[in-house]
Amino acid sequence: MRTAIVFLAVATLAGCAGIQSPLSPAGDQAAALHSLFTLMMIVCGAVYLIVLLGIVWSVLRSGTQRRFDSASGGERRLDRGLYVAASAIVIGLTVLIVGSFIADRALVAAREDDAVIVRITGHQWWWRIEYRDPASGRWIETANELHLPLARTTRVQLASADVIHSFWVPNVAGKIDMIPGRRNVVHLTPRRLGWFRGQCTEFCGAQHAHMAFDVKVDGQAAFDSWLARQGSARAPRRQSGRGASVFVQVCGSCHRVRGTEARGRAGPDLTHFASRRSIAAGTLPMSRGGIQGWLAQPQALKPGTSMPTVPLEPADADAVATYLETLR
Amino acid sequence: MRVRGATILAPVALLALAACTNEARTLGPSLPQTAPAGNADPRVPAYQANLYQVAQGGRYFMWYGCSGCHDDSARGAANLSDGRWRRGGGFADVYRAIARHRPAPAYEATVPVEQLWQLTAYVRDLPAHHPEKRRRVTLDQEGEPQGSQWSGPQ
Repeated sequence: MRTAIVFLAVATLAGCAGIQSPLSPAGDQAAALHSLFTLMMIVCGAVYLIVLLGIVWSVLRSGTQRRFDSASGGERRLDRGLYVAASAIVIGLTVLIVGSFIADRALVAAREDDAVIVRITGHQWWWRIEYRDPASGRWIETANELHLPLARTTRVQLASADVIHSFWVPNVAGKIDMIPGRRNVVHLTPRRLGWFRGQCTEFCGAQHAHMAFDVKVDGQAAFDSWLARQGSARAPRRQSGRGASVFVQVCGSCHRVRGTEARGRAGPDLTHFASRRSIAAGTLPMSRGGIQGWLAQPQALKPGTSMPTVPLEPADADAVATYLETLR
Repeated sequence: MRVRGATILAPVALLALAACTNEARTLGPSLPQTAPAGNADPRVPAYQANLYQVAQGGRYFMWYGCSGCHDDSARGAANLSDGRWRRGGGFADVYRAIARHRPAPAYEATVPVEQLWQLTAYVRDLPAHHPEKRRRVTLDQEGEPQGSQWSGPQ
């Protein structure tokens, strides 16, 4: 029994750390929310304790018979008790309101003129991510992987192409909905290097659970070189061979590889597909096996996805997978 | 009185539940598929009478860029909602007209068979609706990509 309790406690606490947890804040916005959470835990925990003690006290006293006599100090004691209880409630609520106000201000305070501008659009069931190139002002498109520079604010504009989604990277900031016909904005100021995980948190259809994305917090230099690489197109003369030509013909009506004839916009941009960490919005890890499985039977791996099963000859599927692996 | 209320409510509830099967979708591995064998192919109702399949056809219709030419203002053969089919209005006829689309491209080379079934069901469903409804559906899908165009939701 004791081992079971210890095991449960360890498992519960293990949920607090990790790459997708609001209890392990790695950004200014998440830290503000985390301190508000701690304050609420303390205040509400104290209220809970006082109520429990009151119940225990009244249960213990219920056996003793005492005549209520207004002439003695009984009523005056009751009066005083009410004053103490009322002021405790007012003080507790005031602490919570002030704490909530301060956290709220902290979330909207992160305004910086040199913020990185990112536009994210929710699709069933993946994320279209576009960075505004600070030099040229054009939009650099990628998908399902968000890179953020350390200790700098990124302003994310959120929209949806179909239904309501919700954007949440719990380690970095709170969640905010993506509403069709509306642009919401969230600020992210990460303070810790590493990989985190984001997830859609508004039920959006059959594959809502498989609508995740990877978040990488980089140093400024590493971020800049990553963005420059994402902005580059493929060299057309190197896009020859069977895999490339099959890709353009059967995948190109939905997917784009900049620099080639594949110009579809319905699915994720695959120009630097192999540089990402996962496939199909966090469904599979990026590997040769993952690519090949996804090409062969997407409906078995992510039932309902808009990615169709394309009937390819085995040799062609192999060539396309080899080609995709070169898109780094 | 209570008995009468129940006798009225039961058929209404059944009717409401029956409407759900219109949108039934089978999720799972894709099975190999072939083109329809004729206008009376037994697989046709599973697509034509299923609103989910028809709606998926509508999404691909936009994503593949069909709506660029085939909108309500199109004239002649390109107008798909006037109920007149130059190359036959049966399921297999319309399927063939998409698969071997003239002028080029012939979509059977670029679009998988399952999507051709869905597109056919969608296109054959278009004349059944009021122009105002078609316009509203187009507005709903405005945020979605159209062929090689994507301007993002406004």
